[in-house]
Amino acid sequence: MNDRTENLLLALPGLVLLVLAYFVPIGQMLVLSLSGASGLTLEHFSRFLADPFYLNILWRTVRLSLVITVICAVLGFPYAYIMARVSPRLRMWMVVAVILPLMTSVVVRTFGWMVLLSRNGLVSQWARDLGWAERNFQLMHSEAAIVIGMVQVLLPFMALSILGVISRIDTRLEEASRTMGASFLGTLRSVVLPLSMPGIVAGSLLVFTLSASSFITPSLMGGARIQVLAGLVYKSVTQTLEWPFAAAQAVILFVGVLLVLIPYVKISTPRHG
Amino acid sequence: MKTGFTLTSLAAASLALLGATAMAQNNTLTINSFGGAYETAHRKCIITPFEKETGATTKIVTAYSADAFAQVRAQKAAPQYDVIHFSGGQEIVAATEGLLSPIDASKVPNLANVYPVAKANIAKGEGPVYSIAAIGLVYNSQALPKAPTSWKDVLDPKLSNKLVLTDISNGYGMLGFLMINRVSGGDLKNIQPGLDAVRKLLAGGAIVVNTSPEIQREFAQNGATIAPYASDYAYTLTKANLPVKFAQGAEGTPASFITANLVANRPNQALALKFIDMSLSESAQTCFANELRYSPTNSKAQLAPDVAATVAYGPAAMKDLFRFDAPTIEANRANWVERWSKTIAR
Repeated sequence: MNDRTENLLLALPGLVLLVLAYFVPIGQMLVLSLSGASGLTLEHFSRFLADPFYLNILWRTVRLSLVITVICAVLGFPYAYIMARVSPRLRMWMVVAVILPLMTSVVVRTFGWMVLLSRNGLVSQWARDLGWAERNFQLMHSEAAIVIGMVQVLLPFMALSILGVISRIDTRLEEASRTMGASFLGTLRSVVLPLSMPGIVAGSLLVFTLSASSFITPSLMGGARIQVLAGLVYKSVTQTLEWPFAAAQAVILFVGVLLVLIPYVKISTPRHG
Repeated sequence: MKTGFTLTSLAAASLALLGATAMAQNNTLTINSFGGAYETAHRKCIITPFEKETGATTKIVTAYSADAFAQVRAQKAAPQYDVIHFSGGQEIVAATEGLLSPIDASKVPNLANVYPVAKANIAKGEGPVYSIAAIGLVYNSQALPKAPTSWKDVLDPKLSNKLVLTDISNGYGMLGFLMINRVSGGDLKNIQPGLDAVRKLLAGGAIVVNTSPEIQREFAQNGATIAPYASDYAYTLTKANLPVKFAQGAEGTPASFITANLVANRPNQALALKFIDMSLSESAQTCFANELRYSPTNSKAQLAPDVAATVAYGPAAMKDLFRFDAPTIEANRANWVERWSKTIAR
């Protein structure tokens, strides 16, 4: 048995799983999205793409995912940097703190936010007491609520991806930069940030795809009136039983995410990766 | 000789075993129930008394109406359920497709006491209604000292701010919306007046929720005072110590009829009929009303005054109950849900 077959054999279980659990269902979904009453059809796609209602939801999904990704990166980078540079003991606690939200279920966490952000919740009451908001103000059922809830859920993915990269950066590079006269922030910007790009890219990919495809948090935080595409797919599958249309929406979501991701990866990898 | 003996005894044993399975088969009833608190009450009020009286065992499969209907339809050649329960009008389609057996009233004595509306089509195969969820106005009796009396009260701009609507992908939400549509001048052929009314209500501050627990949250935490919803859920809110009451709107009370249906081509229909009969008994229905505040369909069911106040009860209340045409709703559901979603979208 030569190396090649050995490698192939080792990779086989993973490949089989990938084919069975990913390519077969995706293929079926593609077929389903094209199936109509009389053979192949593009009607499900045109129904979606010709309707401003659905296009708005697609745009909201992509837009919110981008906002969530940027906020996660802005919060996650300094956090990861500090995590990488503190003592191992403190680092452990910081890691625990950032993954703690992952240990409770999404629904429970989201309900926590609902209590805080609803009309009579703490945050809304403070905003009213301080005179910043009207009587009926609530953060719940708004796009802001979705962003807040999703950032909390997804921050660990960003922070941990960046941590992995930053902790491999040689600290002597930073020392060199400081001795050459760069300020702390200057060093961060021109040395650490470029070197941690692979981590930020990987984290962004995770955060973006996860937020584009999640529907529990958006539907709980955004309410019935602010829809995202994944929630729409869920509704079509379980409530109106329009499976071909649901499949078409899923394909559109998939393509939409791909269209954003491919240029992003192309731009960011060759330079730094 | 010895082998012969062993073989014979083996044959005898397996025969006995076969016999036992066959007997168990004859004495086992497979039904569906709806899970959660409903299934608990179902067990307490009907299933356990049934098992005690007949010595039969009951196999309960948790399946909601749409799912249960899909199963019964798929199993047409070899049905697996004996009694199937629906809450969304599926029995109408199931009966026309021949999936259900017509019921002979002489074998179900309790039918004699059941309101006519609850047994209208048993000869066609639609099973009798054993409990009713009435859709009306759930309201906070402290915030609204004057009880709402009409579906038009929902349209009152002064209340919009405190109004909770339920998405029509929810069955009760659909019935509530169809009433708003009706009092706004629409009907099942035209839901645009209802959608226009909803748009106005939303502009006035009304909230749309997807699921029933969210209604509770709106009443408990966010100062909601009125919501078109079901009598049984008003009771859930009362149990959570909220000052909530249920009122029937003057324009009529749409009802979700829960039916017990006899599945066709099953071997032990006699036992199944016995089960259906017990579902219609006074004791079972009183029990259901006490546990979950569903309206009884047996005219002899006696409810305590506090229970009676929270459900549609008695001949007069029964007359107000009506049913939207289920096949029309089914045929239009996808289209209506889409138009509704577009109306409420922000």
